[in-house]
Amino acid sequence: MSANDQAVLEASGLSPQSIKWSRLFDYMVVVIAAFLVLAVNQIHFILLAGDWDFFIDWKDRQFWVLITPIVTIMMAASFQAIFWHLFRLPIGATASLVLLLVGVWIVRYHAWSGLAYFPISLVVPGTALVGAMLLDAILLLARGWVMTAVFGGMLYALVFFPSNWVYMAPYFLPVEYMGQMTSVADLIGYTFPRSATPEYIRLIERGTLRTFESSAVWVSAFFGGFICIFLYAMFWWLGVKLCSAVYLPMGPRMKTALGVDKSEQPA
Amino acid sequence: MINLMKKIILGGLALLTVLLTIAPPLAQAHGERATEPYIRTRTVHWYDMVWSTEKMKVGDTVTITGKFYLMDDWPDAVHKPDLVFLSNASPGAVMTRHESYINGKPAQQSHRNLEIGRHYDFKLVMKGRVPGRWHIHPVLSVHEAGPIVGPGSWVDVSGNFADAKYPVTTMDGHKIEDLQSYGVARAQIWQAIYVVIAAAWLLWWLRRPLLISRWLALRNGREDLMITPADDKAAIILIAGLLLLVAYGYMQVREEYPNLVPLQAGSIYTPPLPELPAPVKVEFLKAEYDVPGRSLRMQMEITNNGDHPVRLGEFLTASLRFINKDLPIAVASVDAAFPQDLVPKAGIVVDGDTPLAPGEKRVIKIDATDVAWELERLVSFLTNVDSRVGGVLFFYDTKGNRFLSSVSGPILPVFKRTI
Repeated sequence: MSANDQAVLEASGLSPQSIKWSRLFDYMVVVIAAFLVLAVNQIHFILLAGDWDFFIDWKDRQFWVLITPIVTIMMAASFQAIFWHLFRLPIGATASLVLLLVGVWIVRYHAWSGLAYFPISLVVPGTALVGAMLLDAILLLARGWVMTAVFGGMLYALVFFPSNWVYMAPYFLPVEYMGQMTSVADLIGYTFPRSATPEYIRLIERGTLRTFESSAVWVSAFFGGFICIFLYAMFWWLGVKLCSAVYLPMGPRMKTALGVDKSEQPA
Repeated sequence: MINLMKKIILGGLALLTVLLTIAPPLAQAHGERATEPYIRTRTVHWYDMVWSTEKMKVGDTVTITGKFYLMDDWPDAVHKPDLVFLSNASPGAVMTRHESYINGKPAQQSHRNLEIGRHYDFKLVMKGRVPGRWHIHPVLSVHEAGPIVGPGSWVDVSGNFADAKYPVTTMDGHKIEDLQSYGVARAQIWQAIYVVIAAAWLLWWLRRPLLISRWLALRNGREDLMITPADDKAAIILIAGLLLLVAYGYMQVREEYPNLVPLQAGSIYTPPLPELPAPVKVEFLKAEYDVPGRSLRMQMEITNNGDHPVRLGEFLTASLRFINKDLPIAVASVDAAFPQDLVPKAGIVVDGDTPLAPGEKRVIKIDATDVAWELERLVSFLTNVDSRVGGVLFFYDTKGNRFLSSVSGPILPVFKRTI
């Protein structure tokens, strides 16, 4: 144990016996919190990012690059706020994205592959984990949410595409199929049918993003970064509010409502 | 004792929940009976359906061919087929799709502006992937209306799942051994690298006094103890390391794969099949559904504008084929391999079933009685917002030619015969 660790323990005012038990309590909380963070993240991500993360043939240069960072930064910011506000621990975003990734892979193997027979190549997920680690490290250096939002939020979205492209790129090799040029990702999506997911439901690069030739991805990434700055601030605030103790005003009506008004109790 | 019973019951329920999660029962239906009857009887009518085989091995091919007619009395409540996608309904990816066509044009992508009142043909080429007995339907998904499922047939797939392989060679010569696993290991390795770095960062903090002690120290005003210079250095190293790793990986992959294409999207237009000769004009007069008798009765006026006498051979609605058993050519039109659950045994009884001479006009009544109306959940047209019924009538002339006419109109629920 380092001198700083010793100083933290002394500053806490805990007795040696309490320190021992507090450590056990810490571990218990961490394990329970991990399940909660995993579940909350998973539900939030499935509801808001959904198909863009589920399927390889949805990972376009516009919406996938835009939607995944702005959805994942919400929970990352909230958990980061909770861990920082209460414990000055810059781990909330990293823990949030690691647990999300673990949950996502469990679902990929259990549900998508095990129950629906989809090959894993169809449902390879992306991850914003690199951005989350940068977010935590910037929070540590900045010691506050404002600079983290501005620099961390923008960086979070900007690194999403290149950090995923290293393994997603092979899915975009060209293939000739039925007389048309298509990508391997398109071919995988076509070969392994999803009965209730027609092709037209995919939103692939709608609108005009051709100002910078074919660099639609970086336009989307910058726009995503811009949105991430504001979403980070909003969800940081939400996280702080959720972990702050709030005292109910206890006037006579509230006491009566809660049954703690002694004057109304029989003698 | 009661508490013990409660615990046993709750424990049993918990165990059942876990077991159902681990080994859930297989869902074999695709919701075809859940679709409202006015959609199934008045939108897409599938006919001339052929499944090339009922039994196959993993990797073998089944070809599904047929035609579909987009009914002219398309319900207002259902979005028009301005954008459609031809697919198949099956319990997950148990079969793989290798080719699909509408009117001979590849249907890899969506088709736009299909015309109501016109006919199209289609072809689906599938391969067995997962051994089992699977119910395979064609599906026409209509944008903003949802999937409209066609008739289904059971296909037995035998063999070994491990034999299912899908090799592909890309346009620049990359050989992909199996599409099912392509790229997965690479993704998992890179994500594992990220997770290892993240775990190192988390352990950097988790190994130290953690929640209670830090919270108390912070509350006691010792902010200065929370972050050390070593933490700052670790953060700087983490940022620099990650940016370098991402930049290196991105440049490497651009070098490794210089020729990539974006996802391909967009729709194509296919003109409908040429207009079929329709010498038999049908005018709907009245229809009723006899609730206790499970009979649909319809009265219509038919006019033969052709050169030869005609008879009504079949009434097709919601993929059910009601055959006129008194007309041999109509009976012969049902292939032995066609799903028999879609061919009601009694067929239709045609009142006034004598050949309609050229130029003759006559009122006829048909009676389609079968439990299928209930089994297929078609009687809820009595409670739908659009309580109308429709279908396609197949007439045959004495030369063996077949003519199609659509018929549709309001339907009344009755408890005793009125027509």
